[in-house]
Amino acid sequence: MAACTTTYFEAGRSWSARVAERNAELMAQQSLRRRGVRTPEFCFPKHLDNSRLVKAPDPARARQMRVFSAAITVLFSLTMIYGLQHFRAIESGYRIESEKQVRDQLREDNRQLRLSEAQLTQPDRIDRMARELGFAEPQPGQMVHPSVTSDASAPALAQAAPPAPAAQ
Amino acid sequence: MQSPVRPSQNRNTMSRAMPLKLARFWLICSFFLVWAILIAFRLFWLQVVRHSEFLERAERQQQRTFEVAPRRGVLYDRNLHELAMTVQVDSIFAVPTEIDDKQATAHALAAVVHTDPNDNQTTEEQIAARLEAGHSFAWVARRVPEDISSRVKDLIKTRPLKGIYFQKEFQRFYPDNEIAAQVLGYVGVDDNGLGGLEQKFEPQLHGVPGRMYTAMDARRHVLGSSEREPQPGQNLMLTIDENIQFMAERALDHAILRTQAANGTVVVQDVHTGQILALAIRPTFNPNLFRRATPELLRNHAVSDVYEPGSVFKLVTYSAALQQRVSSPDDMIDCQGGKITLAGRIIHDNQGEHYGVISLHKALEVSSDVAAVKLALQVGQDRFYQYIRDFGFGARSGAELPGETRGLLRPVNKWGPSSIGSIAIGQEVGVTPIQLVSMVSTIANGGVYLAPHVLMPGQVDGAAKNQQPVAPLVPSPFKPGSELSNPLPAGSHRVLSTLTAAQMRKMMEGVVLYGTGKEAQLNGYSSGGKTGTAQKIDPATHLYSKTMHIASFAGIAPVNNPVIAVAVVLDSPKGQYYGATVSAPVFAEVAQQVLEYLAVPHDIDLRQPRALSKAELQVAEDDASEHTGDINALYAAANELPSDDPLRAPTNQPVATNQPQPTAAKPQNESQPTATVTLDDGKTLRVPSLVGMPMRKVIEQAAAAGLEVQITGSGTVREQAPAPGTMVAPGTKIVVRCGR
Repeated sequence: MAACTTTYFEAGRSWSARVAERNAELMAQQSLRRRGVRTPEFCFPKHLDNSRLVKAPDPARARQMRVFSAAITVLFSLTMIYGLQHFRAIESGYRIESEKQVRDQLREDNRQLRLSEAQLTQPDRIDRMARELGFAEPQPGQMVHPSVTSDASAPALAQAAPPAPAAQ
Repeated sequence: MQSPVRPSQNRNTMSRAMPLKLARFWLICSFFLVWAILIAFRLFWLQVVRHSEFLERAERQQQRTFEVAPRRGVLYDRNLHELAMTVQVDSIFAVPTEIDDKQATAHALAAVVHTDPNDNQTTEEQIAARLEAGHSFAWVARRVPEDISSRVKDLIKTRPLKGIYFQKEFQRFYPDNEIAAQVLGYVGVDDNGLGGLEQKFEPQLHGVPGRMYTAMDARRHVLGSSEREPQPGQNLMLTIDENIQFMAERALDHAILRTQAANGTVVVQDVHTGQILALAIRPTFNPNLFRRATPELLRNHAVSDVYEPGSVFKLVTYSAALQQRVSSPDDMIDCQGGKITLAGRIIHDNQGEHYGVISLHKALEVSSDVAAVKLALQVGQDRFYQYIRDFGFGARSGAELPGETRGLLRPVNKWGPSSIGSIAIGQEVGVTPIQLVSMVSTIANGGVYLAPHVLMPGQVDGAAKNQQPVAPLVPSPFKPGSELSNPLPAGSHRVLSTLTAAQMRKMMEGVVLYGTGKEAQLNGYSSGGKTGTAQKIDPATHLYSKTMHIASFAGIAPVNNPVIAVAVVLDSPKGQYYGATVSAPVFAEVAQQVLEYLAVPHDIDLRQPRALSKAELQVAEDDASEHTGDINALYAAANELPSDDPLRAPTNQPVATNQPQPTAAKPQNESQPTATVTLDDGKTLRVPSLVGMPMRKVIEQAAAAGLEVQITGSGTVREQAPAPGTMVAPGTKIVVRCGR
């Protein structure tokens, strides 16, 4: 524990170098503890070459994954489309409701204005105002109503003729 | 070292432990299984079997239903001018739990909302009481005007006031105020029709309330809601023309002012369709201020009151005689010096009239009672009664107005020996003004009785009152027609032949030109009619009164191609009380204005307005003789009325009683004859109203006003120029035309 601590806090060399040196020291100490009997140890480095190993093709698994991916994509799309439409509909509903309120308010304003118009055009009020302004009722025969049907024998007071086409 | 396990002991223990453990296992399993089955069964029982029951209980607990008031339908005149419409106005309510000082709040609010002294709902004490009594809601004021609403909003901001909120409610408005008030009626606080067309067509006008269903939890949080939109009421278009209605009401105002009559009625009808163009009644009320109306003001005298028509009824007698060919207009008839005896009763002509052998048309012009009695006797009472019924008397006309009476007409088998004579001269029979105008319309249109209508046809089906009309309303301005519609409307029937009707029109014209109806002459238009003066029954003595009369006139214009029929009835005029002098001028004023307004071509030469000489204006009086009819016949006829007839009400008399004159009748310029003159910046003077005043008072008023006056004619003032209310310079000369 103390040796580990020492190795850890020792500065100057890299950690791996310090560990390798430390291991060598420990190995040496262990050998001495075995009453001086040094067991020969042999280290046989093994070089493993796994480059020949390749993943065996699994078409079934691949197909399953493709199908699964497609299904997930479709499901996701459907969910997104549904969600989009759902929230879009909610948003449209709010907007429609807002427009309805505006429409109702405009209709009510229209009614108020029609009421005001009816109150302002009531015959009694018009008559009173006209008299205050000095107007009087027309005498019999004072009003001339243009006749609806035209009289062909009557002299023309005005006439409009289409312009002659320009000579080419 | 452990002893070796004895297989035999171990085997025996294991062979007993296996079955015991298995049994216990299955026992526990079965217990849980049974328990699960019970739970499942209970679930099934609650969720499936008793599903509807619990659903219903949940709805009852959770659902609240709020009624949404529908918008009331609009009443239009025939030109689609609004006569009655509903708009939203603010109503003020309070949440008492949010108000700290209720007394101070009530005081502040009452200072703003309590504007009408007659309204005892918005006093400070009432508001405070409601705030104290309520917990979460209390009305402060309902349906307040826009200015009061604004002031309350300002008050809330400036004070500030807590717990005061606004809510929109529907308010019924009548933009023309008193115009056609009795026809339209009014609505109460709860938007229910009370009187007139508002009451008659309440199901159509009211609409269908909407429902808002909300689900609430135990803490009254809204879980969800669903709505059913309210269906607005049906809009209705009347046959009334707003302008013609105004003309009729103004003419009636002049007459009431002139004669101080207790009440008056003017009905204007289209002779070719039976549609009522105007129905004016005085005194009247303002439907916008219905709280100030008395029951008497609400009464529609045109359909609910009957009166003995007097000489006007001679038109029926003469029509029957001509139709039956018992006489012709040029035949001579012996008036026996103005006296005839019938079943022991003596019937006189008018006082001072002792006609001998005269022509029939002359007899109508001078309103000879003797001639009428003789004609009725020649027709025979059965046929005469049939003609009376054919003209629409004795039955409800079917006009779309509530409270219509069928009038007083006894069946012929209950006539007395002299009843035929009395009825021939318009006694022992009670008619309404609307029946009267329909009668003259029948003569005017060539002899076809057309039922009067106030509502445009095709709007309300009697069988399906809740159906909405398919087509939107379009204006239907009154255009003078010359022919009856083909096919004839329902309820129509021919009463007279075309020739008889033409003869009657000619004779009616003679009444206006040469007889008692001179005051009904028009300028530029021919006119015809008949005057009538009848004594009223004194409610105190139950006898005919010598001081209370009904003055009436029924006429048509123009004569050769009539456009309108007008009936004028004035109840208890003071001073002059004859139909010739009191009602005929009203007809002239109304008919002249209406025909000019309708641009009806003049059929006679125009004459310059001039002061008519006293001799020309001397009109013959009619029905000035003592009433000789059987008064008990009227009471007997009243007792035979159906129970729903308004005349059966205990307070009603067969003839309208003489009520004190309410203050609703006012002249057109709203200034009383004794109005003081206000000086406007010292340079102009306001012309006072002199219409209806005698000459001496005219001179006094003009002098007091600092104006000069030029008088033409004699009697009371009929016209003046400049008009009342006009601002003129001091010393301006006012020209007045007087007449009797």
